[in-house]
This record gives sequence, C-alpha cells and structure tokens, in this order.
Amino acid sequence: MREYFKNIYEAIVTILIGMGVTFRHLFVPSVTLQYPHEKLKLPERSRMKLFVNIDDCIGCRQCERACPVDCITIDTIKAGKDEDLGAASNGQKKRFHVTKFDIDMSLCCFCNLCTFPCPTECIYMTPEFDFATYDRNNLIYHFSNYTPEQVQELKEREAQQKAALANAKTGKKPEQK
Amino acid sequence: MAQTNNFPETRFELEIPDPLKTDEFILNMGPQHPSTHGVLRVLLKTDGEIVESATPYIGYLHRTFEKHAERMTWPQVVPYVDRMDYLASMNNSLGYALAVEKMMGLEVNERAQYLRIIVSELNRIASHLVFLGTYGLDVGAFTPFLYGFRERERIIDLFEEISGGRLLYNYIWIGGVAFDAPDGWLEKVNEFCDYFEPKIKEYNDLLTFNKIFIERTANVGVIPADLAINYGLSGPTLRGSGVNFDLRKNDPYCIYDRFDFNVCIGKGEQGTVGDSWDRYYVRIEEMVESAKIIRQAVNQIPDGDAKETVPRNVRVPAGEIYFRTETPRGELGYYIVSDGGKNPVRVKVRAPAFCNLSILPAVARGTMVADLVAILGSLDIVLGEIDR
Repeated sequence: MREYFKNIYEAIVTILIGMGVTFRHLFVPSVTLQYPHEKLKLPERSRMKLFVNIDDCIGCRQCERACPVDCITIDTIKAGKDEDLGAASNGQKKRFHVTKFDIDMSLCCFCNLCTFPCPTECIYMTPEFDFATYDRNNLIYHFSNYTPEQVQELKEREAQQKAALANAKTGKKPEQK
Repeated sequence: MAQTNNFPETRFELEIPDPLKTDEFILNMGPQHPSTHGVLRVLLKTDGEIVESATPYIGYLHRTFEKHAERMTWPQVVPYVDRMDYLASMNNSLGYALAVEKMMGLEVNERAQYLRIIVSELNRIASHLVFLGTYGLDVGAFTPFLYGFRERERIIDLFEEISGGRLLYNYIWIGGVAFDAPDGWLEKVNEFCDYFEPKIKEYNDLLTFNKIFIERTANVGVIPADLAINYGLSGPTLRGSGVNFDLRKNDPYCIYDRFDFNVCIGKGEQGTVGDSWDRYYVRIEEMVESAKIIRQAVNQIPDGDAKETVPRNVRVPAGEIYFRTETPRGELGYYIVSDGGKNPVRVKVRAPAFCNLSILPAVARGTMVADLVAILGSLDIVLGEIDR
C-alpha cells in the first residue's frame, strides 16, 4: 500500500519537475525564423550550389576527374596555334575552348572534392541553397558561353585539321618508303 | 500441506490447456515504422501482446558502399563513408582516414590531429543527442526531442562553419583535414561546452529520472555481460551491460591517450545492470565525458598548418589492414586491401550497429510489443550503417 502511494507521488513529482523545465522556456525569447521572408546568413564555407566562373576556366578537366559521382561533363576543343584565348585571372594560359561545361546538380553529392584541384579556383560552392525546381532537367546547369553555332564551327574546324593531319601522315608515309 | 494420497501433485497441470494462449499472430513491424529508426523490418510472432520471436530483416537501405569503394580513388571514398552512419559522419571518416594513413605510414600534423579529435567528439555528442530525442519519442515523450535537437543545431552550425556541410562533411581527409579552423572557431567550441554542460541537468529532469520513463525502461531488455560479449556488442550498448571496454582507452588510436576522461558503464541504478535504462544513461554520461575531452583538446591545440601533411596523390602500398575506432555506436572496423593502385581492392566495414542489432532476437523473446520498441531504441541503430 505504501509502495503504491509512493509510486504515485514519485510519478507526479517527476512530471512536475519536467513541466518546470518546460515552463521556464516561456520566458526565453523565441528563435523561430520566418523562413521565406527572412533567411539565415550561411557561413562562407557552406556547400550548396556549385558555381563555375567560366571566364577563368582553362579546361584542364581536373574537377571532372575528382568528382565521385560524375556529375560534371566538360567538352573542350584545342585552340589553334595562332589563336589567343587570353589568360585566367591568376595568369594561367587558356589553351582550350570550353565548349561544354555542364553540372547536373541532381547528381551532385555536395562533397566539395571538385573545388580543391582547380588550378584557377574557378569552380566553387556558393551558400545559395534555394534552387528547387519542378523539372529535373532544370537542375542541369550550363556554364559554357559558346552558342551551338560556334561549337559546330569549332568542331568542323577541328575535324578539318584532323583530316588534314591524317592526310599529311598518309601522304608522307609512302614518300618515306 | 501433507500428502494424503498417492497421486502426484502435478496431475492437475498436465491436460488443461492454457486458457490465455491465443493463436500465433505474425506482425510486420516496419519497414515504415517511426520507431525502427529508418527502414528496418522486424517480423514479430506474437502471442497476444507477448513477443515470441522477433526477426530483423535488413537491406532496405543498401547502397552498395563496399562495391562502390572499389571503383573510387582513395580520397573519393571519404564522402561515401560519411553516408554510412549519417549521424556521426566525422567518426566514420576518421576511422577510414586512420586506416589508410596506417597503411601509408603517414604521420599526421599535430594541429590536424587535435582538430580531428574536437570534431569527432562534437559529433559524438550530436549523435547521442539524436539518440536522446528519438528514444524519448519511442517511449512516448515528445519534448526531449526538441531539447536534444536544440543543442545539436549548435553543433551542426559549428560544423557548417568549419567544413561547409551540415550532415555529411567530407572534412577528415587522408593525411589531415580539409580546412583549418576559421578565426574564432575554437573559442566558439569552448562557448558551446560552457553552454552544453548545464543542459545535461535539463535532460535528467525532463526524461532520465522521470518515473514513467524509468518504469518503461528499467528492467526491460536486460542484456547480461556474457551475452553482450558473445554477441559481439560494442560501444555504449556493451558498456550499458557493465563491461568496461572502450577502444579510446583500451586500444588508443589517434591521440586519445593524451586526454583524461572516464569510461562510463552501466551500474543498474534503477533496475538491473544491462537494462534499457542503463544503456540510455551511459550515453548521457558519455556526452559529459566528450565535452571534457573537447575542452582539453581546445586548450592543448598547437599552432600550425592543418593541411601540411595532406598528400597530393594518395599512394597506398600493397597490403591489408584491419583498423578499428570507437564511434558513438561502437567498434567500427575497416578491413582494407590495397594492391598499390589508385583504388582500394576491398573495403569491408564491420559496422557496430549491425552487430548490436543481432542481439534483438535473443532479448526480444517474452517481452511486450511496446517494450520491444524500448529495446530497439536503446540499441541506437542507424540503418544507413547496417545496410551500407
């Protein structure tokens, strides 16, 4: 009998202690953020959306190789001998036309491995996080500046050069023999 | 009462069937069940409310981590190990990094080692806080969940500042860490410890010593020490049974031998040694110890370049290794085979939650269904790690 009442007493007292903890929180300022209207300022290193500063890209493809999920696709075409594509902001010379630089953010695993090997630091993650879309295709981001016509032109030029090279080789060989 | 005739006493017990015995009932608990902590299916055979047998069925979250790792280069595996035990990513990558470094014979920069200890102990606290919250939810207390996540949020903010990630960090690399701590970060860690330590009392008032909570967990799911060892349990689940075994003390890795902390074991304060309450309370005490380690590490941390020893190209000589570390869930072992190439040949993981779950059929027999939830919660399983 005594045990019975002791149990009831203990249950009530320990619940009241717990309630006291909750009650104290009535006098603590609220921390809720009204999200779409106000946003938290994220730290610099936050890894959200990938961004490529394509003007600095030299087409070395190191980020593509570092990516564990292959979400970066890069196509490059070699610049001609007399062509000067300028240099990246840290002085590295650009030797390739970067005709395609696509990042599929729906595949990205936000591991940040692509940003470290970049010699010009042109690929980095930004603290921008609200980029949800209704269509998965909208998550593929195209960073290249080239229009399809330009790409076509460059490709044709490259094909011509290759053909010329092949011709020259096959043309030379019989001569040597 | 003296026997007056020759009939045996037991004659009445033989033929009458148990009137309370009902037909066996097969019940699927999960895979979509809030208290199975992920996608675990437990097949229950019940007799009324009593569980006759419980068989866990796993594999719903299988992501072929081990096969993936064979395709990845050495540093690329790190984001994948983060995804195994997603509540304690830092501890997972710490184990992998230490294993690979041991194969390479790499000595890691002092500052990086201290940063590793700080982040992995912070992650231990964060993981135990999730346990505290979800265990409260399992046994019917909602409020502690909010309190646990309040403190966890601050830890995650600290992680976001140092690594950029909130849940999957890719912070501990082979040979060091990804970033040095930003300015003022270590002071913030100290501030967090000051803020956190008084909160333990709040949890105790709210949940630990609540009579209803004690009634739900004390003497429920008792795992004796010998059974726990036989089933290969590890971590707080093992220590809850009163076994003093912590890899940070018994087989010190990293620089854990430089810190002063206690190993918490279950004492059976509210019931028997090895019951669910003991396993719960070991974790609460462990959070205090982790905060102690963090304070010491922040005070001792030397200056230096944390990225000094990160190799540009990871070259691992041919060989194999088994390396184990203590994660919030227990002994996490990596068995790694290398042939000297760019990728590991094999990365086998001994997941603590997987081994801890294996004891469920042994302790579930004869308990109520509601108690089974309390037992399952006290094992602190993470399905991401069990299925990998």
